[in-house]
Amino acid sequence: MRLRTLLFLGLLIVAAVGAYALLEYNRGVKGADDLKVAATVSAEQLLGDFTADEAAATATYVGTTEQAVQVSGTIRSMAPTGDGKVTVVLETGDALAGIACEFAEADVPPDWRAGAAVTVKGICTGLLMDVVLVRCTAVV
Amino acid sequence: MNNLKTFALALALLPLATQAQERYMTRNGHIAFFSATPMENIEADNHKVTSVWDATTSAMQFSMLIKAFEFEKALMQEHFNENYMESNTFPKAEFKGKLAGVTAEQLKKPGTYEVTVSGDLTIHGVTKPATAKGKVTVDGGGAISASSDFIVKPEDHGIKIPGMVRKNIAEEITVKVRLTYEKM
Repeated sequence: MRLRTLLFLGLLIVAAVGAYALLEYNRGVKGADDLKVAATVSAEQLLGDFTADEAAATATYVGTTEQAVQVSGTIRSMAPTGDGKVTVVLETGDALAGIACEFAEADVPPDWRAGAAVTVKGICTGLLMDVVLVRCTAVV
Repeated sequence: MNNLKTFALALALLPLATQAQERYMTRNGHIAFFSATPMENIEADNHKVTSVWDATTSAMQFSMLIKAFEFEKALMQEHFNENYMESNTFPKAEFKGKLAGVTAEQLKKPGTYEVTVSGDLTIHGVTKPATAKGKVTVDGGGAISASSDFIVKPEDHGIKIPGMVRKNIAEEITVKVRLTYEKM
């Protein structure tokens, strides 16, 4: 009887571990809405921080584990960039650099236009010519 | 200021007196990579690749943020960033080189041109010479696009794959580059 109980418990543990491993293997990537907001900042300030000290800004806004950043600004441009993605660029006061926010097409509010004041939540990946945010959502 | 921005500014400020400069750029280039093994296929996409190309001098550069690569599965993305690419330490990959096979004059009319890109490819903080074949296409409206498929070996760039997952990750990774340029 005791052996049967132990066998049952063993099988239960193996099944639980297997189920966890399968779930973990298939776990989807989180969007910005599912992550903790590490910083709330204006578009001008975000670019300014990266321009002043890229390493320090990377530590703050990119972080070592995935985190979200909330950015407010005015839309400079919006354009589809393929594979169902749209890039919304926020004004920074620097004509050569903006905050490039990559959205899934369905996540861009239909009333967004160039010149509109908006707030975006996204995952900051660092600075190229623009500061780049991916997996963005609109904060309304 | 980062290197790419410095490079773009330098290109923009090159003297214009001697000849017209044909400079192109994109901030929305697409690079995808594929690892195919009998155990599993792994692929990821980065749609935020920045590239600057001066067709007059043939100088070409592109740069991407490693954390901008997106995977379907979170576990793959975490392992890619934390264990293999160490993206907190090496946040960018970069290519600097020359593109041969098409002239600035040819870009003024529609056509497809076989090109060769060669230069230095930096991944995971390790710079290696790289050469790839590709195509540059000018469509009827004058839009210019470039594409290339090539192979990168993780070990060439000091990327260590633990023995336990060695069979899950290909020794040769296929990289696909798709860029649509705008005139600067």
